[in-house]
Amino acid sequence: MQLQPNRDAPRTVMKTTKPDEAEHLTRLLATVAGDRCRRSFSELFRHFAPKLLAYGSRQFGNEQIAADLVQETMTNVWHKAHLFNADKGAPATWIFTIARNIRFDILRKNKHRRDEISADELWPVLAETSDSWGDDYALDHGILMQEISGYYAKLPDAQRVVIEKIYVEGKSQQEVSDSLGIPLGTVKSRTRLALRKLKELITE
Amino acid sequence: MIKSHPAQNLLRDYVAGDLNSASALVVATHVDMCPHCQRHCSAIEAELSAEVFQNSAQLGDSDMQLMLDAIFSSESAVEQRPLTAETSHDGMISLEGKRFKLPRSLARQQARIGPWNKMIGNMWRASLSLGTDEVANLIYMGQHCSVPEHTHRGSELQVVINGTFSDEYGQYSDGDLLLLDGTHKHTPHTNDEDCLILAVMDAPLHFTSGISRLLNPFSNLFFR
Repeated sequence: MQLQPNRDAPRTVMKTTKPDEAEHLTRLLATVAGDRCRRSFSELFRHFAPKLLAYGSRQFGNEQIAADLVQETMTNVWHKAHLFNADKGAPATWIFTIARNIRFDILRKNKHRRDEISADELWPVLAETSDSWGDDYALDHGILMQEISGYYAKLPDAQRVVIEKIYVEGKSQQEVSDSLGIPLGTVKSRTRLALRKLKELITE
Repeated sequence: MIKSHPAQNLLRDYVAGDLNSASALVVATHVDMCPHCQRHCSAIEAELSAEVFQNSAQLGDSDMQLMLDAIFSSESAVEQRPLTAETSHDGMISLEGKRFKLPRSLARQQARIGPWNKMIGNMWRASLSLGTDEVANLIYMGQHCSVPEHTHRGSELQVVINGTFSDEYGQYSDGDLLLLDGTHKHTPHTNDEDCLILAVMDAPLHFTSGISRLLNPFSNLFFR
């Protein structure tokens, strides 16, 4: 479940890109966003594409899918550069979260249905509008054992005895058969009937 | 004030995108409600990106040019799906005459919330269909409600959306996240306050004491 073996590397080493580089990349993103500058984007692309490809290869073990991840991630960067907010973090971090979302969806799309929850729903990295939910979740304004017992009381005696021996006393069906002196087949059918009846009572 | 947070490795797996969808939704809901973990997530994102982007793979000039051309000629995905404005949904759910405001992560999922079913006692459940194999449920416990003592055969991740419940280990309120597994035997209950919980479970509960064992054959009906 980890991306890299050096999970325990000291924090200081992880302190992302050098400030100069981050600033430079931020300026590039700004010109992409403001001026649709292809030259700036190309520079961003040359910087990030090989890194994204390495990430994708490690995640998927497949060069083609890795290339798709690069393409899809950088396409988003090209169209959504205006959503980058330098106050929230470095360009590398933002681009990583875009790639993370795409990876999440690729891994699931392979085997699942269309209505599946998507990464953007979990991490709205590229949401156009920032939602306005406040932080207050204030309210506008027991499973009772008696109740369970009540359901069991509605069973015919013969069934209830069997159920209680099995589920409360923890006896096996054979033991119940022996102790009550009734055939094993009868114990099984009473158990089955009782469970069906209880299910009806509880879920109705 | 949120007291119970995800462990560092759980949060890291979440940020890395390594959790399954249902667990990720529970953690996302906690993070939505928890400024502390929001900051933590940003820090982990920065760490992971630095780590991940240390490595580069070989990418030839002509390949790069091909990709660039494709990008420049691509159309902007036109507002694929308004992420937040599931317009007909207001981010509120109503139950038993009360209204709850859903945290953002869940409000986005409002259309996936199924009908409320009454479980036994003053408990209600609605499942969230995430389109995956995992099962996520909203569970509502009314006031003075208690679940018989049980263990968790698999593991269960819960986040309190609104209200308060208690068990032998403590009291949990809005935003608190709990990870429960087979080593926890507990008896959750509410007192004067009710409680709305989002729970993800990978195996039915196993009731451990007295007559509540009668519930075990049905535990998958109620508590999955």
